[in-house]
Amino acid sequence: MPSPRWLKVGRDLWLHKSRTGLVVSAICIGIVGAGSVLNAWSLLRRATRLEFDASNPASAIIRTDSVDAALLARVRAMPAIAHAEAQRSVTASVRVSDGWRTAYLTARDDFAANTIGVVKPDHGSWPPRDGEVVVEHSSVEFTGVAVEDSLELQIGDAPSVTVRVGGVVRDVGLAPGWMEHVVYMFVAPAMLARLGAPSSMSELRIVVRDRSLSRAEVQGVASEVRAVVEASGRRVTDVSVRVPGRHIHAGQIDSLLYTQGAFALLALLLSGVLVVNLVSAMLTGQVREIGVMKAMGARDGQIAVMYLGLAMMLGLVACVISLPLARVLGRAYAEFTASILNFDVSGYAIPWWSYALQLAAGALMLVVAAAVPIARGCRISVSDALRDFGISGSGDHSAGGLLSRASGLSRPVLLSLRNAFRQRQRMALTLGTLSIGGAVYLGALNLRGAVVASVDLLFAANRFDMVLRLAEPHDADSIASAVRALPGVANVEAWTGARASVSTPDGPLGNSFPITAPPAATTLLVPNIDRGRWVKPGANELVTNRRLLEEEPSLDVGRVVTLVIGGRTSQWTVVGAAETGPSAQAYASREALAAATGEPGATSAIIALDVQGTASRLEAVRRIRDDLQESGFDVASSLSIAQQREVVEDHLLMVAGFLGNMSLLMIVVGGLGLASTMSLAVLERTREIGVMRAIGARHSTILGMVQIEGLVIAVLSWAIAIPLSLPMSIALGIAFGRVMLKVPVHLLPNAAGVLQWFAVVVVLSLVACLWPALRATRITTAAALAYE
Amino acid sequence: MTNPLIVLRDVSKTFSGAAGPFQALSGVSLEIDRGEFAVIVGQSGSGKSTLLALLAGIERPTSGEVFVGGTAVHSLTERQMSSWRGKAVGIVFQFFQLLPTLTAAENVMLPMDFARTAPPRERRARALGLMDRFGVADQADKLPSTLSGGQQQRVAVARALANEPAVLLADEPTGNLDSRTADAMLELLAGLARDGQTVVMVTHEHGARRYASRIVTLADGRVVPTEELAHA
Repeated sequence: MPSPRWLKVGRDLWLHKSRTGLVVSAICIGIVGAGSVLNAWSLLRRATRLEFDASNPASAIIRTDSVDAALLARVRAMPAIAHAEAQRSVTASVRVSDGWRTAYLTARDDFAANTIGVVKPDHGSWPPRDGEVVVEHSSVEFTGVAVEDSLELQIGDAPSVTVRVGGVVRDVGLAPGWMEHVVYMFVAPAMLARLGAPSSMSELRIVVRDRSLSRAEVQGVASEVRAVVEASGRRVTDVSVRVPGRHIHAGQIDSLLYTQGAFALLALLLSGVLVVNLVSAMLTGQVREIGVMKAMGARDGQIAVMYLGLAMMLGLVACVISLPLARVLGRAYAEFTASILNFDVSGYAIPWWSYALQLAAGALMLVVAAAVPIARGCRISVSDALRDFGISGSGDHSAGGLLSRASGLSRPVLLSLRNAFRQRQRMALTLGTLSIGGAVYLGALNLRGAVVASVDLLFAANRFDMVLRLAEPHDADSIASAVRALPGVANVEAWTGARASVSTPDGPLGNSFPITAPPAATTLLVPNIDRGRWVKPGANELVTNRRLLEEEPSLDVGRVVTLVIGGRTSQWTVVGAAETGPSAQAYASREALAAATGEPGATSAIIALDVQGTASRLEAVRRIRDDLQESGFDVASSLSIAQQREVVEDHLLMVAGFLGNMSLLMIVVGGLGLASTMSLAVLERTREIGVMRAIGARHSTILGMVQIEGLVIAVLSWAIAIPLSLPMSIALGIAFGRVMLKVPVHLLPNAAGVLQWFAVVVVLSLVACLWPALRATRITTAAALAYE
Repeated sequence: MTNPLIVLRDVSKTFSGAAGPFQALSGVSLEIDRGEFAVIVGQSGSGKSTLLALLAGIERPTSGEVFVGGTAVHSLTERQMSSWRGKAVGIVFQFFQLLPTLTAAENVMLPMDFARTAPPRERRARALGLMDRFGVADQADKLPSTLSGGQQQRVAVARALANEPAVLLADEPTGNLDSRTADAMLELLAGLARDGQTVVMVTHEHGARRYASRIVTLADGRVVPTEELAHA
């Protein structure tokens, strides 16, 4: 049988069920918030690493004219190479339920013997047979494609071919199709030929033997392979080396989870504050019993151990409730995040250490939070503890005193205002919790606004509506005049583009990046130049964007670099840097790029339409394509800027949305804090309420007083949250900039957001105070006056 | 008197409050022998409860010395005070102050638990023995709220004696009881004194005088010369 003191601990918990429930709820919220993020993070970390490693991703991809068995054999014989395989990727169009979409077809020399970037069959048949396609998992949902469906496929202006969907696979190395608005498909090489594309392979994918090599070392190996390819008389157009072992989006997801983890910890911290409040109040109710126990000979340490034990018991109860909940939420969140990364986490378990951490946090958080109030409670002298107190006169009245001078307020309202300031420390903690919640809410709204504004800013640079990519280069003036003559065209420019790599005298080539080349005097592209200036006509000048600068620091403004473009080397000066979106990109003048590549023609028609409405625009695009075809210009693909904007916004707003969700957690913690504060206030003022009832206070008066007191705290927190949202907006803007895109930080919260938060705190206060207020009205005069 | 159990030498106690300092006791010197049933009387504010609190180590004197069973209570640290109090004194309060979530027996066992004065397995038997002595053994497993005032006070006395203290201090133990129950309580305390237990009681109860072996009268924080009474 437990000793009497532990029996007392257990029974006290049971006796004060509602208070116990509040404490447990507060810890639960903290643990569920932090635990679910931890579970998601640990699960994602484990699943992405294992799945990505299991797919045996390519260390480098070398793009060339063609890859045959002899070249493969030579590369495979190189000592540094573990695996080498060939592949060809072709952009096509596919007709799905809602019209034509961009498709990305991948053919491999031997799917059955495929060991690099291994895809996992999901359902249906694999590998793809002639006459059919196998669709990548992430492209299935948004297109509504299913196994056994028939699809129309077209490459460029070659005749379309109807194919059958043979199966669905998952390729963890791809960015998800739904997000890229691309339908990824795998086809047999013969299928490419039937679609009018070359069936020979054009990408050499290698895996280095030594898996511990750094990116620079892998680049060295790729350069050796490049030399072998070039020695065979082929032209290498591009060498791409990724950070070994890192998924294409891993950095963004890490940053996202770390940022969310920080907010989850903040929620845990705030729930800890709530716990401090509740434990302080719990100890206030126990002061007399502490005095009696001390009078019986209990030492401070013994009493402290009792209450710390009580705290730990509550923490463990909270863990029992919240751990399974955090597990479910964490897994759901991990599955959602994994879908962004195109991974499947369903077969993986959350690691044990994640549960252990949550258990430790849950059990110890309350102990740590309660330590100070317990130490304070235990230090109280026996005489103070046993001294009878009637209506408490404790608390700070200075603010209440100021308020009492306000004229025109009724006595009950004035009393509510003063009551709000009676427990200064408790009020400060509750205010802090609600204010931080408000600041996160306003900060998240600001971030959303900033993201939309920055996308507006990005696309404001594009004064055109569509891009038509031509199958072959054509004279720029001919393209422009042909398109300009077509109905629905407001303006047109002929652009070209190429992929380039930075070359250093002794080192390997850097990763390739795209160069877009409009005429130097373009009016359809007005980029937002951060530093430097735009390019001059004919000069070998480059403008980079921020993402490219991060990947290739050698392309900083003012630097002169050697670039390899289409196998030819040329010198370029970086004259400016612009913010043009989340993908690496450089700009040059069409004339300069043509001189560097030796290819004078243009490859794209950039068109501004003078028709309005989606349907009319689609019709105009179709007509322009047909007319150009008739004029002898083969159109390989078309891209709508509206569609591109949708892709960028999808990426950015999803991250902003995740951060915004964290503010909801804060609102719950804040509401719970207010509810607990008001419950305790009612409990402590039981006798006072009894006295008021004895002198004629009605139900509605008591109810109103409690609600007004809550509203005072809520409105104050709203006022504090407004300036507090400023640093929060900056922090969120910086975090977002690291994850996705540098956004213009909105320092001042928008008026609508501020009013929205006001409405939220008022509703929150009314809901949070409803139960304490109703409880106050149920206190009878006799019971209240007998209350000790 | 030789070898007194309780000795107070020139004890003063001043409280500081919002209205300024208040002298509750002033130069009190007093000796109480073992086995005495000393009753401290006086009007409200005379310093009775302060005197009892000094004996229990609940308050410290502003000046002077307090000895209980040879221990210089005034010089003990807080930590030493708790241990000493658990073993040397038992306290009975006016409002019983039984812990509401523990049964009567568990309340009596609690001081043994804190002071570790008896092996855990023997504590319940010992508590029941004490409760039987005061006629409340049949209430052992009930919560205090289900007991009458008199029963609660008897349980409180049993709890105060759980660690066999040298002194039983009772602060207005009959203040919350009806007259019949109060008489029974006084008789019980007197019986304890007859059995050798030193009892110091603060009371307003006029009838308590007839049970006392000694009456100490306080007025304005000072001891008023008292009459000697024959043992009851």
